[in-house]
Amino acid sequence: MRRIIIRRLVQIIPLIFAVIVMNFVLIHLAPGSLFDVMTSEQQITDPAMLDQLRHTYGVDQPVTVQLAKYIWSVMRLDLGYSYRQNAPVFDVIMQQLPATLILMLAAIGIALLVGVTAGVMASIKVNTIWDNLISLGAVFFFAAPSFWLGIMMTVMFAVKLGWFPVGGMRTIGVDESAIGAVLDVMHHLVLPATALGLFYAATFARVMRASMLEVARLDFVRTARAKGLSGGRVVLAHVMRNAMLPIVTLLGLQLGTMLGGSVVIEAVFSWPGIGSLLFDSVMSRNFPMVLGVLILGSLLVAVCNATVDLLYLRLDPRIKAR
Amino acid sequence: MIALFIDFARRFARNRAALVGLFLVLVVIGVAIAAPWWFPRNPLRIVGRPEIWPFVSPRYPLGTDSLGRDIAAMTAYGARTTLLIGLCASLTATIIGITVGATAAYVGGWVDELLMRLTELFQTIPNLIFVLTIVSILGQKIEYVTIAVGVVTWTPIARLTRAEFMSLRDREFVQACRAMGMGSLRIMFGEILPNALPPVIVLSSLVIAGAVLFESAVAFLGLGDPNVTSWGQLIGDGRTLIRSSWYICAVPGLAIMLTVLALNLVGDGLNDALNPKLRDR
Repeated sequence: MRRIIIRRLVQIIPLIFAVIVMNFVLIHLAPGSLFDVMTSEQQITDPAMLDQLRHTYGVDQPVTVQLAKYIWSVMRLDLGYSYRQNAPVFDVIMQQLPATLILMLAAIGIALLVGVTAGVMASIKVNTIWDNLISLGAVFFFAAPSFWLGIMMTVMFAVKLGWFPVGGMRTIGVDESAIGAVLDVMHHLVLPATALGLFYAATFARVMRASMLEVARLDFVRTARAKGLSGGRVVLAHVMRNAMLPIVTLLGLQLGTMLGGSVVIEAVFSWPGIGSLLFDSVMSRNFPMVLGVLILGSLLVAVCNATVDLLYLRLDPRIKAR
Repeated sequence: MIALFIDFARRFARNRAALVGLFLVLVVIGVAIAAPWWFPRNPLRIVGRPEIWPFVSPRYPLGTDSLGRDIAAMTAYGARTTLLIGLCASLTATIIGITVGATAAYVGGWVDELLMRLTELFQTIPNLIFVLTIVSILGQKIEYVTIAVGVVTWTPIARLTRAEFMSLRDREFVQACRAMGMGSLRIMFGEILPNALPPVIVLSSLVIAGAVLFESAVAFLGLGDPNVTSWGQLIGDGRTLIRSSWYICAVPGLAIMLTVLALNLVGDGLNDALNPKLRDR
């Protein structure tokens, strides 16, 4: 087991390496050099200062040396310095990361809960009005852009009804106990997590329905019925458990999209995560920050993918046998 | 050939939802083509009082936005941008995907390994973050948005093409071609590809829908081409006014949703018509 885990984690290394190289290529594709942008952003005009910066960033050296230097510094988690926040890029991202993780976890939770429930319902009542309604709902949420859903939900639940706050993560100026703070964050979390999660809920519902119908036809389900198990127990303990496997695969594949989706949702709800940070950095052409988010985002997805693979191993012991 | 097409059309038409989707797609295409005749003047021009609600003024059936621009005109022109970017991005993705997938499967060995690692790489990078990075580095041009969206959506096409090629490359007809002394490129693209194409076409039609969503997100964030009207951009502009005039966001959002919905339905219909074996699943 430990060998499998280590092997899976080692596979991440070349991937991250490739992301770093690609970043480097992107920097060099930029019209004018990154250096020009950085200096103009900080409005540095003193020639002596420029020369010194040129040397610090290694712009006066050949491309291969620059690449090697870049890789070396990224490996030491030195992603550069952001003058905008006046702190190292890595620190700023790490500071914002928890908010994004909370949002993503909540969205995954909602997507799983709503999607799996809807899929199971549709498969139990297959080809009835319920099935059709769920399929229709899935088709709609699959097509609606998440940011638009977010805005429409804000109009409905925050502006008109006033049930939830319009944006942000904490109520400003309220100093509460730990429990109060958690509740406050959760209250702010409902709308953005739902807006982000519903798209994935739609996907999960469709896949879950198909997979439930597929598994329900298998022999072991007939055996379970023949043993005299109740219908509900067969569905929950036997069919659903096996039908969940495709969902886990799908979840792993969609983590990257979800992290991207959270950028837009964070922009809509001014959620203080790396999405807002990225948006702000893109707008102010703060390239070290943009590239830092890209690298750490890819790393996050790679690690999550590995975790999902290992989870799969636990859910389906047949894989380990091979 | 005609008999084949009629057969295809009949199978497509059996799926009611797909027909509805096709109708909607045709409407959107019609609006996109007719926009310059319908609204001959620049859609970004200010025409009247700001924030007129829809269905109030007969001159502006969908109302005006915060600057007093005609929402109907902007939505019609937005259809052009959206469809154009969706189609071109999907085409880019399909070309990259087919090239990578076909080469990986046909050549095999370390090339296959390398190309599949590359595919994995692009699956790992959070795609919207990558699009935003490319657009912010290269510049806010419609071409760059299109290429960026194509670059992040080709991976499923590559995987599918590879799987199809794997199952086809050792068939008798391919061996016959090889025995005849045909070149690799001709076998790959002239002989195997036509047989592998139906499922790939289905997937590319679904990629259009995904590309439309990507484009709208980029434009919504204000990183689209500022000189071109697009639905996402309209939503982004209207966002600040949700307390007073939420319809500015609602109208283009519905347009995006219906277009993506229609494209998805057409994709499903194509799937039924082109891969009849899979239909009953």
